[in-house]
Amino acid sequence: MFKFILKGLLRDKRRSLLPVIVVSIGVFLTVFMSGWLTGVFKDMIDVNANFTTGHVKIMTRSYAENENQIPNDLALTGVDSLMSELNSRYPEMEWVARIHFGGLIDIPDEQGETRAQGQAVGMGIDLFDNSLEAERMNIPSSVVKGRIPSISGEALISDDFAEKFNVAVGDEMTLFGSTMNGAMMFQTYTISGTVRFGAAMLDRGAVIVDIEDAREAMDMQDAAGEILGYSKEGLYDDEQVSVIKESFNSAFTNPDDEFSPVMLRLRDQQGLDEYLALSESISFMMMLIFVLAMSIVLWNTGLLGGLRRYTEYGIRLALGEEKSQIYKTMLYEALLIGLIGSVIGTALGLSAAWYLQTYGLDFGDMMANSTMMMPQVFRAYISPRLFYIGFIPGTFAMVLGTALAGFAIYKRKTAKLFKELEV
Amino acid sequence: MKTIITIIALLVGLTGNAQDAKTILQKVDDNMSSKNRVFESTMVIHGKRNSRTITSRSYSEGEKQSFTEYLSPAREQGTKMLKVNDQLWIYSPSTDRTIQISGHMLRQSVMGSDLSYEDMMEDRKLTEVYEPKVTGEETIEGRKAYVLELTALVSDLAYHKRKMWIDTERFVPVKEELYAKSGQLLKQTTLSDVQQIQGRWFPTSIVFKDMLKDGKGTEFKMTNIKFNQDIPAYIFTKAALKK
Amino acid sequence: MIALKLAFRNLLGAGLRTWLNVTVLSFAFVVIIFYNGMLNGWDRQGKRDTQAWEVGQGQLWHPTYDKYDVFSIQDAHGLMETREKQLAVEGKLTPILIAQGTAYPEGRMQGVLLKGIDPEQKILKIPSHLLKQTATAADDATATDGATEVDVHYAIDVHHAIIGKRMAKSLKVGEGDQMLIRWRDKNGTFDALEVKIVAVFKSDVPSIDNGQMYLSLQTLQQMMDMPGEATILVSGTEEINGNLGNWVFKDLDFLFTELDEIILSKRAGSMIMQSTLLLIALLAIFDTQILSIFRRQKEIGTYIALGMTRAQVVGIFTVEGGAHSILAALVGAVYGIPLFMWLAAKGITFGVDDMGITMAETIFPYYSLGLIAFTTLFVIAAATIVSYIPARRISKMNPTDALRGKVN
Repeated sequence: MFKFILKGLLRDKRRSLLPVIVVSIGVFLTVFMSGWLTGVFKDMIDVNANFTTGHVKIMTRSYAENENQIPNDLALTGVDSLMSELNSRYPEMEWVARIHFGGLIDIPDEQGETRAQGQAVGMGIDLFDNSLEAERMNIPSSVVKGRIPSISGEALISDDFAEKFNVAVGDEMTLFGSTMNGAMMFQTYTISGTVRFGAAMLDRGAVIVDIEDAREAMDMQDAAGEILGYSKEGLYDDEQVSVIKESFNSAFTNPDDEFSPVMLRLRDQQGLDEYLALSESISFMMMLIFVLAMSIVLWNTGLLGGLRRYTEYGIRLALGEEKSQIYKTMLYEALLIGLIGSVIGTALGLSAAWYLQTYGLDFGDMMANSTMMMPQVFRAYISPRLFYIGFIPGTFAMVLGTALAGFAIYKRKTAKLFKELEV
Repeated sequence: MKTIITIIALLVGLTGNAQDAKTILQKVDDNMSSKNRVFESTMVIHGKRNSRTITSRSYSEGEKQSFTEYLSPAREQGTKMLKVNDQLWIYSPSTDRTIQISGHMLRQSVMGSDLSYEDMMEDRKLTEVYEPKVTGEETIEGRKAYVLELTALVSDLAYHKRKMWIDTERFVPVKEELYAKSGQLLKQTTLSDVQQIQGRWFPTSIVFKDMLKDGKGTEFKMTNIKFNQDIPAYIFTKAALKK
Repeated sequence: MIALKLAFRNLLGAGLRTWLNVTVLSFAFVVIIFYNGMLNGWDRQGKRDTQAWEVGQGQLWHPTYDKYDVFSIQDAHGLMETREKQLAVEGKLTPILIAQGTAYPEGRMQGVLLKGIDPEQKILKIPSHLLKQTATAADDATATDGATEVDVHYAIDVHHAIIGKRMAKSLKVGEGDQMLIRWRDKNGTFDALEVKIVAVFKSDVPSIDNGQMYLSLQTLQQMMDMPGEATILVSGTEEINGNLGNWVFKDLDFLFTELDEIILSKRAGSMIMQSTLLLIALLAIFDTQILSIFRRQKEIGTYIALGMTRAQVVGIFTVEGGAHSILAALVGAVYGIPLFMWLAAKGITFGVDDMGITMAETIFPYYSLGLIAFTTLFVIAAATIVSYIPARRISKMNPTDALRGKVN
């Protein structure tokens, strides 16, 4: 029977094309919207996760206590073995080490003496072995002049600083501060480029070097201020990280040792708990309204589809077909249209979401001269939900609408039908 | 017997009090300062996790000029620090750079110790900037000592008030406390291993402790102390940093 | 007018189908107005709170003041001249002195920004009156000559300090707790005192809370040995709208930059969502229109036969489709107005107070007439355009075919 109906649908464009188009567009919008909403909230969270919190973050207990002072003397040690332990225990996460540091940026004159000095806001991240790290910190699109360091001994510095003190790409600069052990740190880097993040604090004196260079400078071999974990699927999943946190902390954290590592979820940091709760509830509400609205629209489409073929049903009744038989075929047709539309719509929605996930929508012009670290390019995000959410309004509502419209058939008097056929 | 000792002690105490606080301080100054001095030192810094030992050789001329070269550990070896009047430069051989330390950086701790660069920069004689007063006498580590209270005469000092315990015989400080304007104790210095070098008594071991911070403080031991040497003038120039 | 009446009659005659369309379109209406109303409410409250707690009617900064550079703070202070003092006396501005210090709560060590604020000030909501301390010794000291005046702050055993809830959390202290604070005065001389947290205030403005401790202005001036000096002057009147001597005027636009950016970013992010919702509603109207035109060919043919021009018939159908939006506005109003009024009165509590941005715990949406009018016009226009597109087909119809219902 399906085959028969399908044939009918294919041959009679009028009874199939428009409903399919409408269902497709509706499902497309639903899927796309869902991807967009997930993406926008994810973007907000990602900025935090990427720059500071990770999906999870490991520090020593005492480092965590004084995190805002960047106490590298309290940094994690034995990082290599910890990292390999993490990788084997929790392969679903990507683990990266980072070092934050303070100190002075010192620009030499020809004699090698201080020409200009400024406060450094330093970061050592894995630039060479892990291309994702630069991306996470939004470095590629923040580079103003020059390029990202490609070999050891190169550094990116704040564009504002470079402008202010007339420092050019290719110049040398020395980082002065203290090592993990409190010894003096002197390290000279070649400036490979300048960056501007649009965040006032960072733009005063950002210095970005490869983590191995930072380790070398700060005598932090096999050490790191923090280890961040990112879910390989890309999305912060509270349940997943809660399990990891639980298991890690029970295995590694020693309440008597202030230098033992402790893991925090993104949720546990910087008031993000509240933000997450808020965004979850808003996104849930929006999705609810959306699916509801879409369902109503497709219900209406079902109704319309039934009405459109009023005459046809009249003829079929006149030919002696059972009302229940007609009703059944109507429902099957609706189901087919719904499914076809949902598949097309989901495919379209996914591609649109994919496009916006890849390229994003740039609101940068609107937010030029931003002084805060905020996402300027909004992206959609393809979560597993997108694959099924469109079918709810697309198929279910379509069938429901048709079912309701179909009641009209039962109400019709055969006599009236013939009257309509007089045309 | 006991009473006699008490009486003597009291008499000494009285004479101590009678002795002008300025004179005492002057004697300390005379004893401690020389035209110049050269010494090697070992600094033990107790960090939260580990302790580090840093050795260095220092030359100083009067109070205004000093030059220090770090000898060990390897990471620090060859690092030099030059202070001339109110300027401070640090040279690192690994980067061949001379960096001038100024402004708020001077307030940072030197190599994680309980001393700041600024603490090392203070180059005025105590008698010039403080008004001393003898407030009593105490016995510290078996040595009798005058207790001097020093109050700032000028406003631009890090410590408004100091309390010093001066050995009554040797005229070397054995203990010092540094106070905030409000009277809050901030830092404490304990001096020991007093040795006679070239005819003068000199404390060769010093422990600095920031009283507001947890920790064991910073130990500073001097060896090979020599006074009034022939130090070539170029030592106190920036050119010497790169040598 | 007849067209409109006819349109409504037709729409209402269509029954459920119309109401479904109208319901969805009313969702779009309500959601758009609600969402923007909420952002407007946040914006208004955020600005009001920022003004009330931080910026007043603008600020006058010492030329070297840079709020992102904690190290430059030690040089960013200057004397208030006669005019500034006069304005302060008149209550038109209030000085704040900012200095760096270190707090030692229970042996821990943490950097703090010490802010001196006048206990008598009325411009900012910071409960500075709690900083007023009556120490007899202090009165004696001020009563005598000026030389001892500098040391008044030692006459009080424990100084009153107030902090915000975020700072209280980070220092792990509460009301009534005492701690030592250490700082260096303008000459670099160390000083330290015991302070008592007499109040922990709750503010939606994190930038006046994080890492900061408030002391009485006079106390801090004495502590720093900077009598009569300030770092910034907060204006309480619109009369001040330019630099005063050396003091650089920062207007509200400048001071609101961060908040404006956050809200702009939220608006940008929600724009897609709102337009998609609207699109869905419009899709329904579009679909309905196509069906109407298909099913009512005879009607169309009749209109034309009766002498109407095709454009007029297109007009009738366009108005009919567009009229969905008017019904939607009415339906939206039926449940939206009570909902909005209820929300505006009760506010929306997000339970979020520590996201690091200025955001009230409870936001009261603000629906401006402009927002409602704009949204209504926009939705009507959009619905009309969408209705017009399928109606265009009419102009291509052959009237005789139409009359017989034979147009495909």
